[in-house]
Amino acid sequence: MSSDAVKKRKPKVVRNEAGTPETKRSRAEGDQLSAVSSHVEFRKVRLRQVQVTYPAGPHLIGQRKLITAKNQEVRVYNEEVELEDRDPQQDYMLYKDTCADLAKLMAEIQELKSSGAKVGSVEIEERHRQCSVHFITLKKLNRLAHMRLKKGRDQTHEAKQRVDVLHLQLQNLLYEVMHLQKEISKCLEFKSQHEEIELVSEEEFFQEAPAEISRPHVTRDDNHQLTLARLDWELEQRKRLAEQYKMSLARKEKIQKAIEQKREYLSSLQPGLQNIMQASLPVQEYLSMPFEQMQKQAEVARHLPPPLYVLLVQAAAYGQACDKTLSVNISGDVDEAKALSRRPEDSQEDESDSDAEEEQQNTKRRRATVGVQLEDKRKAMLRRHPLSLCVDLKCKDGSVLHLFFYYLMNLNILTVKTKVSTATDLSGAVSAGELLNSESLLNCLYASDHGKETPNPANRYQFDKVGITTFADYVSDLGHPYVWVQKLGGLQFSSDGAQSELRGSALSASHMEKTMKLLRGRLQARLALHKQFSSLEHSIIPVSSECQHLFPAKVVSGLTRWTMMSYQEFTELGFVQHVLKAGLVCETDLFFMAVVERGTARLLAAVVLNPRYPEVMPLFSLSLHWKGERSGRTEDNLRAMESEVNVFRAELQGPRPGLQLLTNQIQRLCVCLDVYLETESQVCDGSEGPREFPREKMCLRTARGPSRLKPFKYNHPQGFFSHR
Amino acid sequence: MGPVELLHMSVFSQSFSPCGRFLAAGNNYGEIAVFSLSAALSPDASEASQKPILNFTAHDGPVFSLLSTDTHLLSAGNGEISAWSWAETSLEIPEINAMIINPKDNSLIVGGGDNNIHIMDMETGIFKSVLKGHTDYIHCLCFKEREEEILSGGEDGAVRIWGHTEIPLSHFQTCSGMASQECARPQFGKWISCLATDSDWMLCGGGPSLSLWHLRSMSPTSVFPLPGCQREAVFYQDLIMSVGEGPHVSHCLHGGTVKAQIPCTPSSLNTLALNLKNSEHRVMTVGGSSHQIDVFTNFSYRAFSLSF
Repeated sequence: MSSDAVKKRKPKVVRNEAGTPETKRSRAEGDQLSAVSSHVEFRKVRLRQVQVTYPAGPHLIGQRKLITAKNQEVRVYNEEVELEDRDPQQDYMLYKDTCADLAKLMAEIQELKSSGAKVGSVEIEERHRQCSVHFITLKKLNRLAHMRLKKGRDQTHEAKQRVDVLHLQLQNLLYEVMHLQKEISKCLEFKSQHEEIELVSEEEFFQEAPAEISRPHVTRDDNHQLTLARLDWELEQRKRLAEQYKMSLARKEKIQKAIEQKREYLSSLQPGLQNIMQASLPVQEYLSMPFEQMQKQAEVARHLPPPLYVLLVQAAAYGQACDKTLSVNISGDVDEAKALSRRPEDSQEDESDSDAEEEQQNTKRRRATVGVQLEDKRKAMLRRHPLSLCVDLKCKDGSVLHLFFYYLMNLNILTVKTKVSTATDLSGAVSAGELLNSESLLNCLYASDHGKETPNPANRYQFDKVGITTFADYVSDLGHPYVWVQKLGGLQFSSDGAQSELRGSALSASHMEKTMKLLRGRLQARLALHKQFSSLEHSIIPVSSECQHLFPAKVVSGLTRWTMMSYQEFTELGFVQHVLKAGLVCETDLFFMAVVERGTARLLAAVVLNPRYPEVMPLFSLSLHWKGERSGRTEDNLRAMESEVNVFRAELQGPRPGLQLLTNQIQRLCVCLDVYLETESQVCDGSEGPREFPREKMCLRTARGPSRLKPFKYNHPQGFFSHR
Repeated sequence: MGPVELLHMSVFSQSFSPCGRFLAAGNNYGEIAVFSLSAALSPDASEASQKPILNFTAHDGPVFSLLSTDTHLLSAGNGEISAWSWAETSLEIPEINAMIINPKDNSLIVGGGDNNIHIMDMETGIFKSVLKGHTDYIHCLCFKEREEEILSGGEDGAVRIWGHTEIPLSHFQTCSGMASQECARPQFGKWISCLATDSDWMLCGGGPSLSLWHLRSMSPTSVFPLPGCQREAVFYQDLIMSVGEGPHVSHCLHGGTVKAQIPCTPSSLNTLALNLKNSEHRVMTVGGSSHQIDVFTNFSYRAFSLSF
């Protein structure tokens, strides 16, 4: 209160100090006034009476108020309290009246003064006094106005604060409302897990569930309760089912165990049975009745396609009659073959028919996928029968030729693939790689039977349909369709011409023996060549003891290189052109380069090895690098050497069937080179220095005949060389 | 005959039949093939007409020499002369390289491996005389009709001229010492493998270059610059035709220039024959290291080939 009072007082003081010099006077007048008022206190009772008696005028109102305040709060004068009781309107009127009075008094003084009254005259004094009273009243009114203004201001401030508080409250409430709304929406959005559980339908539930769970009286109306009850029922049911599952599992376990036991029993039975079978085998063999095997084979053989069946029967028959080392087996998927043989004819026809129809119907639409479909069709056309025959030919040295015969169902041809398994390890000879290659092993078993093109002329049209240009592209995959294979399978195509009265088994039988002998011969020849090659690669000419008499004991020229060549490389050689022109070279032949050296002389020999070796002699072409290059084309003596090596098969082949032929040819080449070099230096007496090649070979004459040939022929027991 | 044998075949000798309608050729396998020229030269000749009409094996070894008389075809190779369909005689000579007929007394002159020249009476089949003198085997023979002299060339590099009417030999000359002369080619050797005469002129060649000699003065007049060794040379009108190493027939002028070289099939040639007996089938045939015999109707190009 005191601070308030100070505050309230202070602005007034400040204002007064800052005001005009008149205010100082007014303070002094204020002090006077307080003195007056203290004076008034003493005559309070009297004043009350005065109040009643005096007519109510503006001057006296303030006093009266003072008195009433003093009546209520003893001895405390509080202007603020007085302020509350006063009416501002009245104050305003009072102010107006006072101002008017003051102006009237001023005017009177003016008048008096102008009339010439003295300054200290009574009338003027009287009027001065009245003016002072009015001024006091004005001061009071001014103070009151200030206080009222302040009070109003305070009130406004207070009200404003209240409004602020209320506003804050409002904001809080609004926020709360929002939060609550959010919560509500969250709750509304909540998804219970039970919604995902599939429940039985309501009707079913009420029908099946017992009353204590379904509680129809509650749940009929209450959806929540209904759901709860349904969930309860679900739980109940699931528990029951889990129980059931466990029981089933246990039962299954038990049954499985039983099966296992039974199976074990069965498998323990197998060895016993096999033992019995094994024991019975000697008996079968003793009785020479391989029932079992034959039975099995016959069972499978029923599903073989006719050509393979013919081949099987004939090969087995031939094996039984003439060649004990030949064995025939059937391999492949029997079930698939069964499925095939169940509907053997219609499948193929259907296919082609439907193909044609389809093509007519929608060629346009299928354009995009034609490539893929063609590929499929090609595959279908080249399909082979699931069963195949495996014929094993054993040789004396333990190597085996495996022949796998396949039947291409849609092309109606047989193909063959080969594999060789040898008794000894055959690695080492690089140039021999091609010899046992399954691609070329059986090439030209019969003359010019390359097995690249299909022997069935009808296939040409089938290929055109699916866009196969040549069967050769598929040979490595499907095997070679050699003509002899078709014949072994009893297939005869019209292009063979004359002897077409033979069909089926008869045809197969007529070729079986010869073919088998050829096959065996081919394998032996290749193995022998293989052996020779690995020696040749190490520059050793492996002349066998039986052929030793064909050559003199001392041969100075030696093989220094033996390498394989490609057909391309061979054709690029200059000194083989006459052989090429003569048409003695085929792309399927094997090509080698042998280098024989003696001193400065270097003899190159390009060798053409026909696949039918040793039936067809290897063909040598020579080129001698010695004092310039000479070849068999330009030099008669080299030509004679070529013919010495190439022509006289009967001399060179050694013991039948002539497996040593190649070795002997190379050795003869060395001998011939010796003769050539030794006699050459004698004939052509270069006469500078000693001869490079001293004459060691015994020759009767060094030249003979119009072309002055050298004596290349070796006569065995006497050991001299003569002319042919 | 397989393809390999064909590849290595050489034709060593040829002879036309007396009528001039047939050609006989002998090869290194001892075979003689008889071709019909009339068939091969006819306008409607086919592939088959260039094949032999008759082909037989006459000897074990090569047929180095063939000769036809009025009635016989004589062939010789290793040590025997066969007269086909009549007689067959045998000699102790390793091989016979050359045969000629002396028409005057109907005798056969043969030369070969034993360095000697043998003269046989064709009537009786008896050897009348032996001309000895060569130191190495005899390559070629030729007959000088006017003087009835025999010329022989051999491996020893000599050309000998024999006056055979008098026995033993009355006169011989040698062209030795050729090594110092312009036709000598020491890198090849000194042998003489071809001989031909025409009046006073003689052609000889072989290891030395082919050269034309004047017989009376015994001196070479021109040397032909042919690279290989020549095996057979003949005079034909004003030309000299020669064959040898290299796949061509050389036409030379007497002056010593090579006029033309006509290409042919074999890579080197052994024999050349001119059919002058029959004007209808006037051809030149050449054979060599091939199974084919080239036939020239016009001498300046190869018409076709006969083939074994």
